[in-house]
Formats: sequence, structure tokens, C-alpha cells
Amino acid sequence: MNEHIIKSYEDELNSLAAECVRMGGLTEAQVADAVTAVVKRNQDLASAVVGRDDRLDAAERDIERKTIRLIALRQPVADDLRRAVAAMKVANNLERCGDLAKNIAKRALVIIESDPLTPLTRSIERMGKLVLGRLSTVLDAYSHSDLERALAVWSQDDEVDEHYNSLFRELLTYMIGDPRTITACAHMLFVAKNLERIGDHATNIAEIIHYQITGDEMVAGRPKTDELRD
Amino acid sequence: MSASQLYAAVVNALPDPILVVVGFDRDDLTGRRYILANAAARELLRITAEEGMLLSAVRDPDVLAAVDKALFDELDAESIYETTGAQSRSLRVRVRSLGIGQDGAHLALVTFHDETEVRRVERTRVDFLANASHELRTPLASLSGFIETLRGHARNDVAARDKFLGIMQTQADRMARLIADLTSLSRIELDEHVPPRGTVDLVLLVGEAVEAAAPLAAQRGVKLECRPFAPGTVHVRGERDQIIQVVQNLLDNAIKYSPDGAGVRIELQSGLSELAAAASPENLPRLSLAAPDPSPETYAALRVIDLGPGIARQNLPRLSERFYRVDGQKSGARSGTGLGLAIVKHIMNRHRGGLVVASAEGEGSTFTVYFPMAGAPEGVVKAS
Repeated sequence: MNEHIIKSYEDELNSLAAECVRMGGLTEAQVADAVTAVVKRNQDLASAVVGRDDRLDAAERDIERKTIRLIALRQPVADDLRRAVAAMKVANNLERCGDLAKNIAKRALVIIESDPLTPLTRSIERMGKLVLGRLSTVLDAYSHSDLERALAVWSQDDEVDEHYNSLFRELLTYMIGDPRTITACAHMLFVAKNLERIGDHATNIAEIIHYQITGDEMVAGRPKTDELRD
Repeated sequence: MSASQLYAAVVNALPDPILVVVGFDRDDLTGRRYILANAAARELLRITAEEGMLLSAVRDPDVLAAVDKALFDELDAESIYETTGAQSRSLRVRVRSLGIGQDGAHLALVTFHDETEVRRVERTRVDFLANASHELRTPLASLSGFIETLRGHARNDVAARDKFLGIMQTQADRMARLIADLTSLSRIELDEHVPPRGTVDLVLLVGEAVEAAAPLAAQRGVKLECRPFAPGTVHVRGERDQIIQVVQNLLDNAIKYSPDGAGVRIELQSGLSELAAAASPENLPRLSLAAPDPSPETYAALRVIDLGPGIARQNLPRLSERFYRVDGQKSGARSGTGLGLAIVKHIMNRHRGGLVVASAEGEGSTFTVYFPMAGAPEGVVKAS
């Protein structure tokens, strides 16, 4: 890539990406802590996650403001324009992930009030690990502009879906077996759904990386297993 | 090698990951860079360059905050760093200020120390207690239920009383077995890092174990075949009682899961390399549940081969987990304590030996244990 004549322009673009990566780190921590709060029944941690969400919102606003400013003042084209737009879109997706993590933490506060459902929390833990792994890989791909790693995340979307579907069935069995667990199970179901959506956002970010690097949209359909009607 | 080259080589070779970080201004995100990353750090953080932007290596907010504290407030800071992925690791991060360099850059040293083991041990203990009490609660609940019935309306019903007492006996036996297994497991664990003393003749010992298992086998109509047992002796290093327990547990399992009238084959081979000892005779999915550190020992391998229902591939890794039973095994004629293979695994670890299972659904299972032979390693048979 050509060096920009005005050094600070390049710096601005770089620090935009850096701020996205830092925001990514925050998001990862929020998701990880939210899942841990559910699994370990940790009320303090859940409240902390809820409280920290503001930082993600602020980070997103900041990145958006800086991107708009950069586009207005520098009028980037081609590569640079895509990098700027990608930063804004990534921040957008991360902010959504943060909201979902906050929602998981809020539900954790309710789940903690009922009796523990150990096998279910194990499944949630496994799914959380998987989703977090994907988020982390896609952020690695973004910070290293690594198209291959991004594509790896993009093509493995169905794994999370499979976990979600099996958890869904597990939850149904519980609720049928013991109606007293319905409240906790219903919240668990949303926890699982939120995790699944965080996985989707990771896939979105993979698509944004593809666009930033190649300039093309991803056209092929995502692998998707939908077992809602079985 | 000059002094500075030596220092560089030492830092690079340190087993704990180390980073040296510079920063100029608190608000300058891209200005925070790592200027040194040793080999362990590059592996941990999945980076290839020896220097680069700090955020491209670490983005954990707690670690970044600790780095900022050391860089700009010149205070020591600590944090925990967890890696994601299949083998997640948990590391303690310590950040120390290195003062200010000639160009006005703030410098800090970041060290990582792996604490995964410690945390895992804690967690296993918690899980273990929860599982053990759960396992004991089931037979206990059934016992007190029957006692209540016997004191109540079944007091004078002779037929019911006999039936209930039979069930109570079974449950009490089950609890006794469970407690015996738990005690022996905790004793084995305590001694796991004490090498066993003494030598044992496997030929003799297996013969005894087979004789001891004969009544159970006869009861289930299962034939035990030992072959090909070479005449003579096979001496291995180990503790007699524990090796007997290994063989007994494997035979019990094989007999329990064999269909009526089927055979259980027991094979003994000696003078093998580790590769040959751990090899499985058939083309079944195989998994090593315990393996010794590489060493030029010769091994004696004992294989117990049954024609039972086999184990699905996805269940193989969990076999030596405590209280794990393949689905539908919790009750009925085949109920065990769920600790048998965990005990075998720990004994094999202590004996610097190995445990390998090869199995597929409908194909039966082969469990192999191998022990280092007594005496100098000689005449190693190479696996092809």
C-alpha cells in the first residue's frame, strides 16, 4: 500500500482500526463475563456487565464520529474509504454484541434466583466458548487484515446453529419434565438465542473484513441449518 | 557470543511469555507498541513479528488497563488473561514499569505466568464433590424410601418384605462399592507422583485375576480366553495390589458389557516399544486415555478384548471421566460406580504406563494397558 503523503491521515486511519480492536476486546470481555455470570451464578459479575455496557456505547459513538469526520475532511477513496466504512460497521456490530451480552447478564440475575440447572449451564458454557472463540478469531482477522481467518469464521456458522438447536431441545425436555423450571429455562433459551446472535454478528464482521480487503460483497449463501420446523 | 546476544537468546528462550511495551501518550492508541516478544509470547498471542502494535497482540481490556497503569503511572499492576479456543488457558499477567527511555518513551515489562493447572484442579475438586454426593444420594434415597414402607403398611406383608430387603441389600452394596472406589481413588491420587516400588510377574498376576473373575463370568455365561500366553514370566515394575485392581476393573467391564455366551479375549505381549504397545490390533477408532512421557523403555502390554456393544467415537474421550457412563447405563444389570476406568487411568499414570481404548459401535472394544518392564531396556520391538 502506498504511504500517504500526509502522515497524519494514515495515522488517523490506523487509530480508527485500533479503536475498533480495543472495542472488540471490551466486547469479548463483556460476552465472556456474561456467560460466566450465568454459569457460576455470580450476581456481582452480572451487575458489572450491565454497568459496563455504557463504555461500548461510548466507544461506538466515538468511532462513528471520527469516521464521519475523516470522510468529510479527507474524502478517502477506494481502499481508504473501505477501511473507514468497515471500521464504522465493525463498531456497529460490536455494539450490538455488547447489548446482547448485557441482556444475557440481566437474565443471569433472574436465573440465579431459581435452583441451579447444572447440565443446562454446562451446555450454555460450551456454546458460550464456541461463540467467544468465533468472535475472538474474527477480531484477530480484523486486526491483522487476515482474509483467510475471516473466511474460516464465515464458513463455520452452522456449528453455532447446531449447538443452539440441541440446546433448544434440551430446554424443552426440562420444561416438559418439571414446570417449576419454566421461568429459568425460558431465560436460558433467550441466553442461548443471544449467544447465537452474537455468533451471527461475528459472521457479519467476517463479511465486512472481506469487503474491506477485496472490495467485493460476499455473494454465496451462508451455510445455514434451520430446524425450527421439526 | 557477545553479552547482549546472550541476553537476547536467554529472553527468547524463557518458557514464560514476555513482552516489552512502549507508549508515548495516554491518548495515542497506535503509539503503544510491543518492541520485544519472546518465542513463548509470540506463540501465546499468535503473533509472528517481534514488534508491532500492542493492540494487535492483546486486546483484553483488563490487561490493557494494567499496561497503562505501569506505563503512565509507573505502578506495578496485575491481571488475568484467558485465551479462547479448544484448550483455553488462564495466565496471570504482571506488568512492571521500566521507567522512561532516552526518546521519552515510557517502557513496561509484561510477563505471563500459566495458571491453567491450578485453576483446573480447583474446578475438578468442586465437580468431584458435587458428583460424589449426587451418586450417594440416589441409593440412600431408595433405602430410606423402603425403610419407610417397611415400617408402614408393608410391615406384615412377608412377600413384600423379602422383596424390599433384597432391593435394599443391592442398594447398600452399591453404596459400599462406591465408597470403596472413592477411597481407593483418593489414595491412588495421593500417591500418583510417588513411583511404585517392586516388580510383578504379569503372567502370574493375570492368571490370578482371571481365576478371580471366573465366577462372575460363569454367572453371565461369558468365556474368558487367555492367549497367547508364552510360558515363563513377564516382569514389570509396579505395585502388585494396584496392578491387580487394573486387571480386575478391565475384566469386570469386559464381562459386564459382553453379550451372554460371548468370549472375552485376554492377550499379553512383552518386549514392545511404546508405539507397538499402544497400537491397536484392529482398524477401530482408538484413543489414548493415558500415556507415559516419551522414554526408551520396553513395555509389556495387556489387551482385554470384548465383543460387547462398543462405544461411539464421541464418547471415547469421556471414558475415564469420573462418574461418566455411556447413556442408559446408569441403572439396570450393568450399573457400576462409574469410577473403574478413572482408577485404571490413575494407576497407569502412576506406573508410567499407558491406557488405550479402541472401539466402535457394534464392533466391541479393546482396552490396552501397558507397563514399563523391569530390568534394562533391551531388544525393543519396533512397530512397523
